[in-house]
Parts: sequence; structure tokens; C-alpha cells
Amino acid sequence: MVEATVEVWHAQHEVHEHHGPQGVLKYLWSTDHKVISMQYLFTGMFMAVVGGFMAYVFRMQLAFPGSSVPGFGIVSPGEYNSLVTNHGSIMIFWVAMPVLIAAFGNFLIPLMIGADDMVFPRINRLSFQVFFISALVILGSLFVEGGGFGGAWTAYPPLSAKGVYNQTPLGATLWLIGVALEFVAFLLGGINFITTLMNARAPGMKAYDIPMVCWMIVIASILFMLSVGPLIAGAVMLLFDQTLGTGFYDPAMGGDPVLWQHLFWFFGHPEVYVVMLPAIGITIDIVATFARKKLFGYKLMLYTTVATGVLSFFVWAHHQFISGIDPRMANVFMVTTLLISVPIAELMFVIIATLYGGSIRLATPMLWALAFIAEFLIGGVTGIFLGASGADIYFHDTYFVLAHFHYTFFPIAIIGTFAALTYWFPKMFGKMMSDKLGKIHFWGTIIPFNFIFIPLFVLGMGGQHRRIYNYQHFPDLAGADFQRLRIIATVALLVMLAFQLVFFYNFIRSLLRGEKAPKNPWNANTLEWTTESPPPHGNWPPDQMPKVYRGPYEYGRPDRESDFWPQDEPA
Amino acid sequence: MSEHEQLNERDREQVEERHEHGAEHYRKVYLTLLVLLVLSVAGPFLGIVWVTLITAFGIALVKANLVIQNFMHLRWEKRLVKWVLISSLVLMALFVAGVAPDVMRHEGQNWVNVAAADAVDRGIEDEHAEEEEHAEEGTAVTVADPDAFDAVGQFNLICATCHGSAGDGNGAAGAALDPRPANFTDPAFWETRDDERIKTAIRDGGAAVGGSPLMAPWGVLFDDAQLDTLVEYVKAFRPAGQ
Amino acid sequence: MSAKPIATTRSATGIPTGRLAVWWLLASEVVIFGGLLGSYIMHRVGHPEWAEAAAHTQVWFGAFNTLVLLTSSFTAVLAHQAAESGQGKKAAKFLVMTMGGALTFLLVKSIEWTIEISHGYTITTNTFWSFYYTAAGLHGLHVIAGAIIMGFIAVDAWRGRELQRVELIGIYWHFVDLVWIFLFPLLYIAK
Repeated sequence: MVEATVEVWHAQHEVHEHHGPQGVLKYLWSTDHKVISMQYLFTGMFMAVVGGFMAYVFRMQLAFPGSSVPGFGIVSPGEYNSLVTNHGSIMIFWVAMPVLIAAFGNFLIPLMIGADDMVFPRINRLSFQVFFISALVILGSLFVEGGGFGGAWTAYPPLSAKGVYNQTPLGATLWLIGVALEFVAFLLGGINFITTLMNARAPGMKAYDIPMVCWMIVIASILFMLSVGPLIAGAVMLLFDQTLGTGFYDPAMGGDPVLWQHLFWFFGHPEVYVVMLPAIGITIDIVATFARKKLFGYKLMLYTTVATGVLSFFVWAHHQFISGIDPRMANVFMVTTLLISVPIAELMFVIIATLYGGSIRLATPMLWALAFIAEFLIGGVTGIFLGASGADIYFHDTYFVLAHFHYTFFPIAIIGTFAALTYWFPKMFGKMMSDKLGKIHFWGTIIPFNFIFIPLFVLGMGGQHRRIYNYQHFPDLAGADFQRLRIIATVALLVMLAFQLVFFYNFIRSLLRGEKAPKNPWNANTLEWTTESPPPHGNWPPDQMPKVYRGPYEYGRPDRESDFWPQDEPA
Repeated sequence: MSEHEQLNERDREQVEERHEHGAEHYRKVYLTLLVLLVLSVAGPFLGIVWVTLITAFGIALVKANLVIQNFMHLRWEKRLVKWVLISSLVLMALFVAGVAPDVMRHEGQNWVNVAAADAVDRGIEDEHAEEEEHAEEGTAVTVADPDAFDAVGQFNLICATCHGSAGDGNGAAGAALDPRPANFTDPAFWETRDDERIKTAIRDGGAAVGGSPLMAPWGVLFDDAQLDTLVEYVKAFRPAGQ
Repeated sequence: MSAKPIATTRSATGIPTGRLAVWWLLASEVVIFGGLLGSYIMHRVGHPEWAEAAAHTQVWFGAFNTLVLLTSSFTAVLAHQAAESGQGKKAAKFLVMTMGGALTFLLVKSIEWTIEISHGYTITTNTFWSFYYTAAGLHGLHVIAGAIIMGFIAVDAWRGRELQRVELIGIYWHFVDLVWIFLFPLLYIAK
């Protein structure tokens, strides 16, 4: 053991010859965490376009049923099911997770803790390769005979187990394999994030000096790793039901379909916190920087987050209130579900308390961070109605649920991403983005977003159930007033999608012709801002790795002239 | 860096501790494991269920503990690792606790898992009646001849949701549809139907016979002979005298 | 190009990074197998009629395989001990013995399954057998993966390189043994 440690020490001296591969292979085969983060980012952004296109198609079908959708054609019922299934799956597994956790986690964690890379760079590369294959599999599943899986992203058996029911047997199996590969990729990645944060911190960086976004990504990884196991087991069982004819979920053969629901949601509920925590972490770091004020309660926030994570394992069956679970269990899960709103509300209050009395700069990243808080609050509050099992008897499987989770997921995945991208773009790409275009994009996204989903709350309360391709077949839901709401939502989506072109234009133009970014354009404290924009391979020269002297949120101290105090500046 | 020197010091201490328990210690643990294995295999021979369970799982727990503490060195490992492992075990217990009321039991407040309860009853009957036969073939326990097509069962499973189990178009889901599902007890229905049309509607869907696309195509589920059987069943709803 | 980043050499927790990673990996494996075995246990308790099917698993095959895996865990820990004192070649020899145990285990399992399948007990025979093949199969995949990785580490150890990895693959291997320690009573004894 002693010799082994010494050997590892000697390896440190090899670091000076640390070159990456050259040429095109540099990008395909690199183990540099920054390159890998870009790979995740661009794959995730591409998948967002795919998922967004699917939303466009099915919303056009809902607003103008039976009409041919430009760029797609007539939407058949089977295709509709496939579109909503894959929209949900892609947005969660191939957009939110890779961008928020893998892309930003990979980019930020080593930089923010003062390390030169992740502790396992080759496993990092492997995790992206597995993820990329999973993306190919899910995209491929859309083009096989029968089309993409149409059994909802929740894939309940027997619909998902028997091809004769879902009519997309090949798509169903490929979907399952794609999801399973994505899980493996994130297990591999998660181990990297967790051990890097725990072990590879710069000298002087104690646990409470770690920027909140790093904590959040790592806690999210821990939640993921501990919750996905039963679902992996369940997915293997579902795969066998689909392909071999076993009966794990078939009551006639001694199985139980409710088992799948439990296996799925035991993971599915922590999963939403897996994506939520990084978005909150991003918001916190941006708010502290642009309010020029110390985070209101660092330890409070950290412990509250841990409490949220722990509690998130105790709420899962609120997704199953009316599926036939024992009503006494429903009572238990209702209590825990209502309880979990408390720590999350507390996180919101800490952010608001940080803002209070701050010297607020409304740069584009700050606008996104503020929008996150406002929109997520609406999402969170509407979740309370759903947590009450009695009310959920009415609301379950209606558009009320859908609007609730879009008011949480959209802030998480989309607002969180734009906040992080506009904030860290200068560091990632070495150029400044146009703040003016950023603001146009911001308002053009946020305002239409609300016009998409508020009508859906109303429709949900009116009884409109989910996953129906044409409401004209249901007399109670086919009225002109309801249809008007559907059209408003669809038109708002079209407007919002159009404004994303502003973002792409800004992104590309800034990359090519943007103003060169300094090391620290926002005057922020954390370590990533102490190196070049973009950072070189190894992040800092090996003999100039940073040392840390204080926490990350020393902004606006009255006893200092400067309103910020970088972590690596000696006292 | 003193931090790393401290690390080396700690490692050296741990190494010395382990060398005290070196190969000799591991050998003792290994032999203990073997003895426990023998005990766990011998347990069932006593034929007492509780003894079997205790020897089987109790010994498994003891063996696992020996392996974890000694071979995996958890006994000398930092607390953090122990907490991580305990958390994952606690989560598994939580999972089972939350799921067992639905999956382990077959009835509860306002619900009964009919299929599972039937399977249990069937199994227990067969166990008593046919134990010797099955010992040779090891075939699955089945109720009816798997080759017989249960038209009534299939109709009730698939068609009755819309058409009603009485074939009158009053199935629970049918009430929400427009147009309403066909009513097989209405003479007017039969005026414009023949066997071929009904069979095509079942196999290829309503749109294929000029009707509503709400009638889904079910051809993937049934072969030709089964479709004919279903058509006969539908015809049985026809009012007498038509 | 196997130069390690400086990050790998740090250890703020005092636990070497590789070992910390392996423990996290094991935590995630505990929940995978826990989910599968938990599901099996719940079904089994609710379906006492599966006892008839379960009676056909063969205890002696299971017991022999348990013996094989326990022995391979023993050789794995001896490999670790050798690596600790820098004896790469000796560690490699013990690792190869462990791999031999893995191979034996897989061979015995294939014979066992061949016998069972030829008697008509396939994965679709009934849900007990579905669980049996799935659980043992998932375990078997972990045996195969572990043995392959162990091979690479043994080659390195023979050359005196990366000796700290002998401990790591050993911890993984003991976990594989642990899962079997629970599978054995579940599928063979207390059935």
C-alpha cells in the first residue's frame, strides 16, 4: 500500500508532459473534461431541437386536428403516441441530464475546485461514448418498423411489455435499451463527479468553500446513483417480458404490473430532484454574482438540500395515487409529499433573501436566474394540489399535471441551461455574448412560455386528460372555448420556438465574431474565473494550481473596497 | 505538502495493522466461511421451516459480514464508506416496505388482485394433486388448454370496454366517444352488416370499412380462425328474429 | 498517454480516490441487486405455490459454486496482501487463481443450466424460473466483467505496475461473492 502510494506520487511528475491527442482526433478522443463537456453540451442541444420539433408537431395536431403539419404531414394516432412518448423521454434523459449535469458538471467541477481534470479522465470519456451510443439508439428507434415507442415515457406494462398492445414492439425494445445505456453512462459519470469533488479539491478548500453549483451537481449524482438501481433491475425484467415472453409484470403469469410502477417511480421521483438541484445551484451562483452579495445561508442551503434529497426517496407513490395502490399507503405518501415542499420553499427563500439588499445587475444571466425562481414557484405551488391524494383523484392524468411539471421542468432544463450558458459562455468559449440579443431572446422565451402552459392548467381543471391525439372525439372536451385555449398554447409555442433562432444566432455569431472575453468578465469569486478564457489543457500551469483561502460568496463586504474577493487571493 | 505526508502516515499505520492480521487471519476467516456453508446446506435436512430460514439467511448475513469486514477491509475503513453502504441498504429496505403492501399481498382496502389469488389457489391444489406427475416434466401449471381460443374472454378483455359486455355499445369508455361504439343488439346495425364486413372491421379497424377510426385495428392479436370465432360471438348478440 | 492528472493524486477525504470510487460503484450495485432481489422476495412470499417450481433447483450445484466463489474471494484477498508488500508477480498469480475460480463458477453454472433447460425449465416456464435465470444471469454478467478487468490488472501487476488496483478489483470481486452469498439461500435453500 505504501509503495502504491509512492508510485502514484511519482506519476505526478509525469504531468508536465501532459499533452492531449492532436488534430481532429483531439476532439473525438480527448479525455479533457472541457472537451467532454462540450460533447455533452452539443449532443444535448441537438436532442433539444429534436424534442422541441416533436412538441411542435403534436401541438399542431392538438390545435388543428387532422390537418397536415408543415414539415411532418398528417399525424396518425400511433404517431401521436410516439411523439409524446419520445418528447418526454428525450427532454429528460437526453437534454436535461446531459446538459445540466454532464456538460456543466464536467466543465465546472474541476475548474471550480482548482483541479486540472476529473480524477478518472478515461472513464469520463467512456461515459460520453456510452451516452452517445444511447442517443443513437433512441434516435434510431424512431425510424424502425412500427415507429418509435408509443407507450408513454413511463412505459407501464402491459402496454409497454406486449407489442400487440403498443403496436411498436421494435421501438419499445430500442427505447428501453437506449434508456438503459443512458443510465449506465450517468452511473459512470456520477462516480467521477462524486470522487472528484470529495477528493481532488485544491489545498485550503474545505467542504464549506465549495461553490453551491458543485455541491448540487454532486448531490444530484448521489441521488441518481442510489435511486436508479431498482429501475435498472425493472428494465431488465421489462426487456425480458418484451423479447422473451416472461411474465414479470403479467398477473396471469404470476407477475404484477404495479411492481413496474413502483420500480419506475422509486427512481422517477428522485430523478426530478436530480435535474432540479443543478438548476438551483446555477441560479444560486448567478444570483450571488449579480446581486454582489454573500449567499444568505450557505450551510442552511446545504443541509436543506441534503434533507430534500433524503426526503425525495419517501414520496414516490404520489405518482400512483389512483393506480390501485393500497389507500393507506396513499395517506403516507401524501404526508411526505406535502412535507417535501417545505425544504424546497426554503431554498427559494434563501435565494430571495440573498437578493434582498443586494446591488442587483440585470445582465442576461441574472434575468434567467430570476425567471427560474418565479416560474419554478408556480410549478412548485401547483404541485401541492397534486400531492393531496383526494384532489389528485380528479387531477391525475389531466393537463393540470402536465402544466405543473412543465412549470418545473422548463425552468430546470431550459431556463437553467440558458442561465448557465449566458453566464459561463465567456469562460467556455473565450468570447462575450451579445447582452442585447440575450435579452431579446429572454423575453421572447419567457412570455410565450407562460402563454403555452397557463391555458393548459385551465384545460386540465376542465377535465382534459393526457395522451389523447384528438379531443374532437370527446364531446365534453370538444367545445370551441377549449379548442381556443389549445390554439393559444400552440401559437405561443410557435412564437417561443421562433425566438430560439435569436439564441442560435447570438451563440454562433459570438463564437465567431464576439468580443474577446477577459479572465473574469463578471468580477466573480470562484476559481474558474482565475484562469484564461477558455482555460488551457490542465486548466492552470502545473506549478500555479490555485490555493483557496475563503468561501466562494465573499461579495459586497463592507470592510473591503472591492465588492468581490476571489477565493484564491491570499488574505 | 503536509497533508499528503499525513496520508502516508495513516496508510503506514493501516498497513501495519493489516499485517498483524495477515494471511493467518484471512485463512481463519475463510475456514469459518466454509463451515458456515456446510451448516447452511445441512439446515434444510432437518425439515423444520424456521430452522431452514434461520440457517439459510442468518448464516448468509454472518458470512456477508465476515466478507465485508475482513476481506473488503470495512472494519479498517473510514466511517464515510460505512455510511454510504448503510444508506444504500436502508434505501432497499424502504423500497421493499413501500412496495410490499401492493406486490406481496393480494388484497387490501378496496382492492383484490384476482389473477394472483387465483394463481395461488391453483398452485396449491395442483401441488397436492399432481406432485408426482410434475416432478418428471417440470411444466408450468396451467388451467385450460392453451390452444383453445377463449372468444368470450377476449371480447370482455378488449371489446367490452367500448362495446359493453352485453354488446350494446355502453362500455365504460364508449360513453365518452363520438360517434358512439356500435350497438350489436340494435336491429338497425345488422341491416348493413355481413360477416365479411365485421371481420374486416375487427382486423383492420373502423376506417377500413368506412367507419370511425376510433375502432382500432386488432388484426395483430388474432389469426384468421380466431377472427371467425369472434365474428360468430358478435353475431350472437343479434336480436332474435333477424 | 497514461499520465495522471494532478487531481488523481489528491485525497481530501484521506481515502485513495480509486478505492472511494469502487465503494460508490458498489453502492449503486447494491441498489440494483437490491431492487431485483427485493422484487423477487416480495413475489415469492406472495406466491407460495412457486415452491413446487423452486424445488427443482439443484442444491449441490449451488453449494459447490458457493464454495468456488468463497475460495476465489480468499485468493483475491491474498492477492491484495501480496500487492500491498509490492510483490507484483505473487499478486498476479493469486489474481489468476481468482479468475480460475470465476471460470469454474461459470462452467458449473452452464452445466447446471443446461441440465435444467433440457428438463424443460426455461426462463419462460413460470415466473419463479424467470427470476431465477434473471438474477443468476445478472450476477453471472458481473462475474464475467469482473474476471475480464481482473485479467488486465493481473497483467499490470505482473509487470509491477498499478499495484493499488489489485485491492480495488478485489473489493469488487468480494461484492460479487456477496451477492451470491444471498442468491444461494434465496434460490437454492430457503425456496
